[in-house]
Amino acid sequence: MALKILDNIRWLTPANKENQGEHPEIVVSSRIRLARNIDTIPFEMKMKNKDARHLLELTQSAIKQRLQGKFYEIKKLTPLEKESLLECHLISPGFIKKDSPTGVFINDKRNISVMINEEDHLRIQGLSGGLNLINLSEKVFDVEEVFGDELGYAFNENYGFLTSCPTNLGTGLRASVILHLPGLVFTNEVDKVLKGALQIGIAVRGIYGEGSEIKGSLFQISNQYTLGLKEEDLIEQIRKLIHMIIDIELKARDVILKKAHYEFEDKVFRSLGVLKSARIISSDEVLNLLSALRFGIGMGIIKDISLDLVNELLIVSRPANIQLYYGMVLEEHERDIRRAEYIRNRLNNPGAN
Amino acid sequence: MLCDDCKKHPATIFFKEVLPDRTVELHLCEQCAAKRGLISTKKMSPLEVMHKLLKEKDARDAEIICPVCYLSLAEFKRSGRFGCSHCINAFDPHIKELIKKIHHSDKHIGRKSASGRKRSIEIYWLRKELKKALEQEAYEEAARIRDRLKDYGVEDIG
Ligand SMILES: [Zn+2]
Repeated sequence: MALKILDNIRWLTPANKENQGEHPEIVVSSRIRLARNIDTIPFEMKMKNKDARHLLELTQSAIKQRLQGKFYEIKKLTPLEKESLLECHLISPGFIKKDSPTGVFINDKRNISVMINEEDHLRIQGLSGGLNLINLSEKVFDVEEVFGDELGYAFNENYGFLTSCPTNLGTGLRASVILHLPGLVFTNEVDKVLKGALQIGIAVRGIYGEGSEIKGSLFQISNQYTLGLKEEDLIEQIRKLIHMIIDIELKARDVILKKAHYEFEDKVFRSLGVLKSARIISSDEVLNLLSALRFGIGMGIIKDISLDLVNELLIVSRPANIQLYYGMVLEEHERDIRRAEYIRNRLNNPGAN
Repeated sequence: MLCDDCKKHPATIFFKEVLPDRTVELHLCEQCAAKRGLISTKKMSPLEVMHKLLKEKDARDAEIICPVCYLSLAEFKRSGRFGCSHCINAFDPHIKELIKKIHHSDKHIGRKSASGRKRSIEIYWLRKELKKALEQEAYEEAARIRDRLKDYGVEDIG
């Protein structure tokens, strides 16, 4: 059967050199987010519907004149499309639920998105694979400058960029990086790393799981403080920590290779076997199997599958994305069948699209 | 070396405290150090710090009001959200400590906001004026506004 094209998910960030940072075998993705508000418009708390409309008109006008990309008004999207934007990490969970007018701008390269009328008027964020914070921050600031020039930001000499919530004051900058740390999970060193990070004001938490359950050995690392440090120093702090964690992770992986080589090799190939053959598969199961696959590629156990493909499988197999990919609304059971089919096709024809 | 307190786990944390009459040395495992309150096992996030501090209320909070959006300090403490770009000035003496405790700093040293030409805002209001002028059949005025819009490079003017 013919393969569906990935373009069915209009905002899926393409895998290419530009979106590939350092250490993709450990760093799944990097994100930089800036919170900004327009000086002359009330903040979310005091915002009326007409203010939200006004904000949307103003930002659209700025986009039209200075930026290349697409603007989507959220309420004009289908529920599936909204979920998909969320699964692609282009919008936040709270954003979908808002009643007042909201919109999202996504640039042509699909590595920058701007949420309009989130908790702050603008949430400008850049996304990339691998560790790519410096490069990413340059791109994000280019877009930030356009809106600042066109609309004028709320700014105060003492407290910097003014935000709806005091926890974002100052730079309004949140850098976050998703790491894949099966080595640290195996050697039980995760806790140690987490505590060390907290002491310097950096938060680490497991992702995709409910509460404290960590799935797929994925962790998110982000700065907690936004005031009192320069943007480049905030980023440098995170970068340094990440490099330190990468070193520990690589050592842990060496330990694994020495202590449990066959067990891990077995786990990797069994996971690949399931992904290549399963007929019904849930997105949680995919997450765990891809974790093993990612580890196998990073360790050189698997050589003919790219990390780009693993990243694609991770995103496209999410519940809303798989439906958009097939261009139809699917019940959970049908979804599990289609997901298995999509993954089989991609892994058995890695070159095709 | 085993922990001085539990004598079970290996001691990983060493404390040396010099008192007036003697020096106390402690060798503890992490759990026992946490039990004695010598290390915190969990640090509060900025958001948790904020919500904790916002509970400290004052009878006069309702009287301190932002002159622009009319948000009161009492309302701010309930929601933890500012109402507009002027609130922070209106509340400043009362929230300085709060901000300092959230961020461990009360001074921004990062990028500054460029003053901005605010062209999109200008264009927005010119378009409104143009619409009004056309409705009132004030064609000379409309032509004048159109010229200004053209100066901004806006061509699609009805
Ligand atoms: Zn105000």
